[in-house]
Amino acid sequence: MSTVPDVRLNMPARAEGVAVVRQALAGMADALDFDAAVLADMKMAVSEACTNVVVHAYDDGDGMLEVDMIADDVGLTIRVRDFGSGIHPQVHRAREVPALGLGLPLIAALSDSFELHGSAGRGTEVRMTFEYLRESDPAAANPVTGTVGDDGRWDSDATRGTPAG
Amino acid sequence: MDANPIVLDDGPGDVVVVVVEGEHDIYTAPTLRERLDEAIGRGGGIVVDLTGATFVDSSVLGALLDARRRALEADQGFVVCVGDSVEPGVQRILDITGLVPVLPVVSGRDAAIDAARATPNGAGG
Repeated sequence: MSTVPDVRLNMPARAEGVAVVRQALAGMADALDFDAAVLADMKMAVSEACTNVVVHAYDDGDGMLEVDMIADDVGLTIRVRDFGSGIHPQVHRAREVPALGLGLPLIAALSDSFELHGSAGRGTEVRMTFEYLRESDPAAANPVTGTVGDDGRWDSDATRGTPAG
Repeated sequence: MDANPIVLDDGPGDVVVVVVEGEHDIYTAPTLRERLDEAIGRGGGIVVDLTGATFVDSSVLGALLDARRRALEADQGFVVCVGDSVEPGVQRILDITGLVPVLPVVSGRDAAIDAARATPNGAGG
């Protein structure tokens, strides 16, 4: 299964690059014969990880996004990395609309395993693995909880039910 | 030329349909927000038709939820619709976020237009 070479993408961390990462990922998943449902999860999780880099990693807006795709006997591991100032999700640039805050819960729900590494001044790395043969739906083990709050951000502790309004 | 168009269809008269096709993420979300602003500005109900959408991420959900909130504040109906078969890149995020009853999401544009016209929140109450 792992006759596909490892792939590294390096690009400026800009919004227009996220679709390019998805396209490369689709090609990789096709070569590895992934199920369409797993590919859909992969594209979503990787998009969310790249979006986090574009929105949060660089205070001045300039910096690189690095994506590694590494196939082994179990599945495909994708590392999404930035070289910014570390994890600080509250920072957003003035002209931006604040993010919904669903990125990491989605990544956890859609990947078969997931790790987040980061420290101040050394950037952040999200590492996700997607298995060729899933025994269960990862969203069952790590469901996205909560719903959107009155402030427009995701509230993981909120109870789902009849929406307000 | 645009493989991922977002266009307004005001054919139904008192309801504006925002037709979203292709893949949408953080890059196209600002355009979606503009179109939604324009639709809300018309003053009637708003339907967002995702039938032709193949991928939407949380940036898109954020734009839809913001528009929904503003529409309801202005007493305008807001309903999202999908087609008979929904792409995994759209269905999955709606399912696991539990947003189908919140937005709300209904099947078929005609049903969505009726719902957006009938009640401010389109969900029947």
